[in-house]
Amino acid sequence: MKDVLFTLAEKKLLCDGVWEFTLASQEALPPIRCGQFLHLKLDGAFLLRRPFCIYKYDTHSVSLVVAVVGGGTRRLAELSAGTRLSAVLPIGNGFTLEKKHRKILLLGGGVGCAPLATVPVTYPDREYVSYLGFSRASNVMFEKEFGAFGKTVVGTDDGSYGRGGYITDILAADIDALCPDIILTCGPTPMLKAVARLSHQKKIPAYMSGESHMGCGVGACLVCTCAVKQPDGTIANKRACVDGPVFNLEDILL
Amino acid sequence: MNEQTEYTVDTAVRICGVDFKNPIITASGTFGFGKEYAEFYDINALGGICTKGLTKERREGNASPRIAETPMGMLNSVGLQNPGVEGFILEDVPFLSSLDTVVIGNVAGRTEEDYCYAVEKVSALDCIRMIELNISCPNVKAGGMAFGVLPESVEKITKAVKKYCHKPLMVKLSPNVANIADNARAAENGGADCLSLINTVGGMAVDWRRRRPVLANVCGGLSGPAVKPIALKMVYEAHKAVKIPIVGMGGIMSAEDVMEFLVAGATAVEVGSANIFDPHTGINLVNELTNLMKRCKIKSVYEVTGSLVV
Repeated sequence: MKDVLFTLAEKKLLCDGVWEFTLASQEALPPIRCGQFLHLKLDGAFLLRRPFCIYKYDTHSVSLVVAVVGGGTRRLAELSAGTRLSAVLPIGNGFTLEKKHRKILLLGGGVGCAPLATVPVTYPDREYVSYLGFSRASNVMFEKEFGAFGKTVVGTDDGSYGRGGYITDILAADIDALCPDIILTCGPTPMLKAVARLSHQKKIPAYMSGESHMGCGVGACLVCTCAVKQPDGTIANKRACVDGPVFNLEDILL
Repeated sequence: MNEQTEYTVDTAVRICGVDFKNPIITASGTFGFGKEYAEFYDINALGGICTKGLTKERREGNASPRIAETPMGMLNSVGLQNPGVEGFILEDVPFLSSLDTVVIGNVAGRTEEDYCYAVEKVSALDCIRMIELNISCPNVKAGGMAFGVLPESVEKITKAVKKYCHKPLMVKLSPNVANIADNARAAENGGADCLSLINTVGGMAVDWRRRRPVLANVCGGLSGPAVKPIALKMVYEAHKAVKIPIVGMGGIMSAEDVMEFLVAGATAVEVGSANIFDPHTGINLVNELTNLMKRCKIKSVYEVTGSLVV
């Protein structure tokens, strides 16, 4: 982990209220793995940093997907290219694949697709199938990016683009034919619950990247905890920042 | 030659016989057990570090969300999640023993017996130079603040743990009381060697659209710059009320803030929320304070402590 000074190099509107930010650094960034995140310092009245998953990365830059959901993200969306921003990165355990995981199913909901896009970059030697769910046609994002990794299915809840219905229902209909070795997912809680049921029924391991209100982002303050089942059956409050943000979907209490 | 660089200042302070390199101590609950921040800077440069509140048994703390951002501040309701005294000894003491800075063990409990047990165990450790008695945590139902509100109970719990405490005893006072001077005197009468104040101010955040509290615990403790004026007033009042040294805290973000607390009567300060806002806060404050003292030609921290002219 390192506090790095970035320049906002590029800002691109992905859909209504959702931006892609590209942050560039003069110095080389510490090594980043898929599913890790950064903790971005805002200015003025926003004292707490804001956590964002890393959507794209290379040696000197990172991209984030910023959905405007409150005052802090609104402030961010107002920033113009050239603004200096500091962020601690990389944070968290990220997604880990074992050798036996050859066919990977990426299942994203809305902006939750973003952290999954780094998996094929960290593990380029696997087969990927992506299922991306959005509420409606105007919110569809990332189709081209995931398309570059392999077969990609897009669904919208209202059926206005791609296949209609919840993406988890669409996946449930296809999963026996797909036979993935593992599911990696990120998205709204109801979607994660549906994935947990599917994973349990089909006996396919699933890992999710979660979101939590954060304080320090370095593992010290214990405000971002989530309840996680331990091997001995007890429930422990684990830090989303450094023990997560990726947890086994079977163990986390959603 | 630059006059400023030649001027030497002494940032060291001694509190109850314990030598601190400088008056910057990281506050309990915002600095874990030091390890996390050691990744960002040499934490031995700090005056001291205060551990997360330790209890007899391991505690899982409150449900999430445990944090809310508020105007110039934050609310937390962690609820004393900690590995317990035994877990602390196994997991954290080896690292703390390797440090060359003062480690203060923050201790909390549910009952008087729990407090005495934890104080005895923690204060017996070589790496612990001082105990900070947390009788002011607003986030646990039993214990914590129940001991810290009435002056009688402050005196009683202080007296009780003092017998078991192998190191100097610092009592951390709550601001959620009728008269801070009474509570400061009560701790002094109970045998406290020094005081630290303030703990967080009771507060609440509401998400009106959902008709729900933001914190799962409903209420929490407010900290950050928003509480600094409250903290300064209480440090000032406590300093007038007692003879023992005071470690001041509440919303410190800069060396200027540190100076304000020293002037109001503090011998050293604790820095809490600012660590959460920026992981380099501790080291930045040590450097800024040294530079500020040079610029203002202040030779020693002692010149400043309690220098308020009213």
